[in-house]
Amino acid sequence: MRGLVRYAWRALAARRARTLLTIVGISLGVGVLVAALGVDAGLDASIDRTVASMVGRADLRVTAFEETGLSAGTLEQLGAVPGVALTAPAIERKTFLASQAGRPVETAPVTILGIDASAEPRVRDLALARGVALAPSDDASALVTETLAASDGLELGDDLQILGAGAPLTVKITGVLRGDGPELGSGGRTVVVPIRTAQLLGVADGDTAPTQVGGVTRVDVVLAAGAPVDQVAASIGQALTLQPYVLSRPQDVASSLRASTLDIRATMALLAAITLFAAAILILNTMAMTVVERIRELGLLRAAGAQRSQIVRVVVTQALVLGVAGSGLGIVVGTLLAYLAAAWLRASGQLAIEGPVIGPWAVFAGIASGVGITLVAAVEPARRAAAVSPVAVLRVRSDTSRLVRAHTGWLVVVVAVIGTTAVLLLPGGATDLAIPARAVGVYVLLLVAVLLMPALLAPLARLAGLPFAVLLRLEERLARAAIRRDPGRTTLTVGALVIGLAMVVALASVAGSARVSATAWLADVVPGDEILTAIAPAPVGPGGIDTQLSSIDGVALATPIASFDLAYASTRLEAVAIRGADFLADGRLDFTAGDRTAALNALDGTGAIVLPASRAARLGVGVGDTMAVATSQGLVNLKVVGLVARSFPGRTGDAVLVGWGDATAKLGVVGADAFAVRYAPGRRADAQPQVEALARQLALTASPVSAVSGAVGDALDRLFGLLDLLALAAVVIAALGIVNTLSMDTLERVREIGMLRAAGMSRIQVWRSVLVEAGILGAMGGLVGSVTGVLVGVLLSGGGGAAGPMSVVPWPTVALAIVLGIALAMLAAAQPARLAGRVPIPMAVRGE
Amino acid sequence: MTFQPTIADEANAPRRTVLPILEARSLTKQYRMPGEIVEAVRGVSLSVMPGEFVALMGPSGSGKSTLLQLLGGLDQPSSGEVLLEGEPIGRLSDSDATRLRRERTGFVFQSFNLVPLMNVVENVGLPFTIAGQDPRSHELAARIREAIALVDLTGKERHRPDQLSAGEQQRVAVARAIVTRPALLFADEPTGNLDFRTGLDILGALWRTCMERGQTIVLVTHDAKAAAYADRVFVVGDGQIQDEIVLGRRSDHAAAPLIARLALLGL
Repeated sequence: MRGLVRYAWRALAARRARTLLTIVGISLGVGVLVAALGVDAGLDASIDRTVASMVGRADLRVTAFEETGLSAGTLEQLGAVPGVALTAPAIERKTFLASQAGRPVETAPVTILGIDASAEPRVRDLALARGVALAPSDDASALVTETLAASDGLELGDDLQILGAGAPLTVKITGVLRGDGPELGSGGRTVVVPIRTAQLLGVADGDTAPTQVGGVTRVDVVLAAGAPVDQVAASIGQALTLQPYVLSRPQDVASSLRASTLDIRATMALLAAITLFAAAILILNTMAMTVVERIRELGLLRAAGAQRSQIVRVVVTQALVLGVAGSGLGIVVGTLLAYLAAAWLRASGQLAIEGPVIGPWAVFAGIASGVGITLVAAVEPARRAAAVSPVAVLRVRSDTSRLVRAHTGWLVVVVAVIGTTAVLLLPGGATDLAIPARAVGVYVLLLVAVLLMPALLAPLARLAGLPFAVLLRLEERLARAAIRRDPGRTTLTVGALVIGLAMVVALASVAGSARVSATAWLADVVPGDEILTAIAPAPVGPGGIDTQLSSIDGVALATPIASFDLAYASTRLEAVAIRGADFLADGRLDFTAGDRTAALNALDGTGAIVLPASRAARLGVGVGDTMAVATSQGLVNLKVVGLVARSFPGRTGDAVLVGWGDATAKLGVVGADAFAVRYAPGRRADAQPQVEALARQLALTASPVSAVSGAVGDALDRLFGLLDLLALAAVVIAALGIVNTLSMDTLERVREIGMLRAAGMSRIQVWRSVLVEAGILGAMGGLVGSVTGVLVGVLLSGGGGAAGPMSVVPWPTVALAIVLGIALAMLAAAQPARLAGRVPIPMAVRGE
Repeated sequence: MTFQPTIADEANAPRRTVLPILEARSLTKQYRMPGEIVEAVRGVSLSVMPGEFVALMGPSGSGKSTLLQLLGGLDQPSSGEVLLEGEPIGRLSDSDATRLRRERTGFVFQSFNLVPLMNVVENVGLPFTIAGQDPRSHELAARIREAIALVDLTGKERHRPDQLSAGEQQRVAVARAIVTRPALLFADEPTGNLDFRTGLDILGALWRTCMERGQTIVLVTHDAKAAAYADRVFVVGDGQIQDEIVLGRRSDHAAAPLIARLALLGL
């Protein structure tokens, strides 16, 4: 046995380049997997740290449902619940710092976090970089984060002027918090003040300051020692009767944060599995080629008495060496990729990740997957090698490879193993069955595309060869002949390319679909050319911001928009308050059910609601139904007056629409989050500067709709750029496979090449024929990959939206995929082509 | 033209009133191996007349295939000279050697090496395609038909290699080698992969090209029965010409006289 193992080593050493390329291919597959796991663990670690920072030692958190916040009465009820040892209320609001001489001008908003300075230290530690903590009795002190201090040039002892509803409030910086501070999503621009100070920011000049703390955004609750959380939570549910609220536990906060990262994690896991699929094809092809190349030797071993199991062991030993080496290198590659991906995600602002975590699990999973899949992929060539009769091999004088050619059917088993691995590796929070179902759908599509290749080989090669045949007819014919020599090998070679390019096209398709949806949403829904966003609810109505905007010459329409939540059937329903008449006048909203005019007019009355069709289907309600929503004033009945194709986007889908009157009178909305401004035809140039000047004056952020669309596109580009990078790993693996295959083809065709050279073919013609072969392989991969990619894209984006699948065919990417496939394949063929051109004729034509 | 099968009968040998089409002068070929230099061809001189069928015969490792490769311009000699139609070909550049093979020589090898996707007509017309000519043109198509007829494959023009027997595939290879009407046809063990009967078919086809078209042929073989088709046989051993046997042109291709002469030489 030891002799056979040595033989396996020698076989690998004899083809160093092929061995090395295969190891690199495996390492890329394992690398993407390790990177996905590293980023996944990094996100988890970041989320855990964030949750610990956010929630501290609190056992429960009560969050206000309405914009008005939790009242003093609610706080009183909460404090009286048995088992509650401590309540730490906090107020969060966004505002701006007034500009002050001697400091850099910074226009970004800040988050003001008002805390109960006596209760807060018992819930969480606010880590100070310098200075002292807030004193419970001092309302004029403030803490700033290191990030804010650095960006705005703030120092201990400086005065800060904070803009509020009334005159700016002045506070003194007494301490600097470490890093970004405790507020997630503030970008580190946080000022911590006593809760009374935060409350005063909401009091307009002339109003009376409240005597009790109210308008609280959230309350962290610490339970008495031994108090059961479930029981206290139930008691809170019975005790808090004044206002709607949300009760959550730290693990709920973590789950919510994890859910927000689920899509990117699931996509990375999917890409990792697909890259492993490409790597498995490379391994299967390499092992099949090694067996083909050594079939006579293996036959001799059999003739000399080697048992079938020994032949299997020889091949499996080779695979084991490749798998271990590739997986080891894959850990290194994956670590580098993980740091790159984390940096990319952090820099693009998509996700809060401090860095990847390459723990023992990632290393184990990488090595186990790499070695396991290598061994599974090697089983078929090993079995085939062992099954060949030594007599048959030794008798046949030519083309023994026919006996052991790769059979693509084994791919089904390989894909089943990889699919199982992928499902096991999918993020733990993937409770939505749609994610694994889509992943399985993607595998099946890719597998079918690869398995169909042998049947499509001849027509595809002819089609892909057409452009080459125009200029290089002979080379094209020879290349096609070579391609059809071993359909299994060609299938495996092109298959890896199909997978890589399909994913590139699919990602472009999904990105395109998202971009189309965003553009369509803007066109269908937004009643304006410009959006002005406010960081705090802005006044509406007579003297309000909408009135001021409408009075500008050249502004045809300024309509307020407010987003908030509704409590319906014990679930949170995202809602947007609008003025129906404004949408009617501007021709927005595409109604799929109900009369448009009547529905929008009804919104301006009372008790009406318009649902997005998708949301209505999920809730099981239709036009004419009544929905009872919970408010601080009790249940409010809203009648469904219409369904729309698209509405404003919420966190979990399109928002429901209610009238502005109901929203402010019954549903707790106190002001607008945004204003949509429509300019009169031809008046934009005149009116826009005035609108923007007013926006600056009122601390609103003005964004043209085109800029919103562009920002959506930029965000998508950044996210999909990373995914494309991972998908390209599969394309690179395919390129390595092409190098291997064309080198093997050259070896097998050495006699044919020698004959052609003897018949007058020049080196350059031989060189070109190998390049053309690669080009045809690349074009085949590009063509099949593009079609498959579009189908995968439709599957991933849920059917391509209302405009149909063809609306999301990313034609430029399809063209790019085909060009990339051809270019990469021809680049990969450069060395085999050079070798083919240099085949010495005497050696090639030497008799057996 | 009729030749009598008389051994070493100069009178019945092909007339040598014209210049040799192929001439080798003091040809040597050395290979550097680790620790030694192997001399595969050692000072060979010979000449081949136009229309002559010559065989290089010898046992395995005698250097006959290396000699054929030097004569055909497939390889370059270490020293000495090869003249094709009076022109030296031993030191040609790669592009000149390619042009020589394309225009003036034809080769048949032991392995047929047909292009699997191409049918008989396309395989035979391959040298024209390689040269950038259109094998479907009237003149070239006629030459392809003629070559196919000469090897007795008429009716199988549209067959692909996998639809042909081994002997038929080798006959396609012969047709491909002669279709350009090369000055010289080199055949290296063309019957090595074939059974006896099929081998005779191939030799018959070669002989017919010589008879009917005046094709000059240099055949390498270790088989006396194959060599008996030649007008002259150079016996190669240890990289040298050990003997020259003139058989003359005969239609019965009997090997007995050649075998008897070889026996006299102790071979």
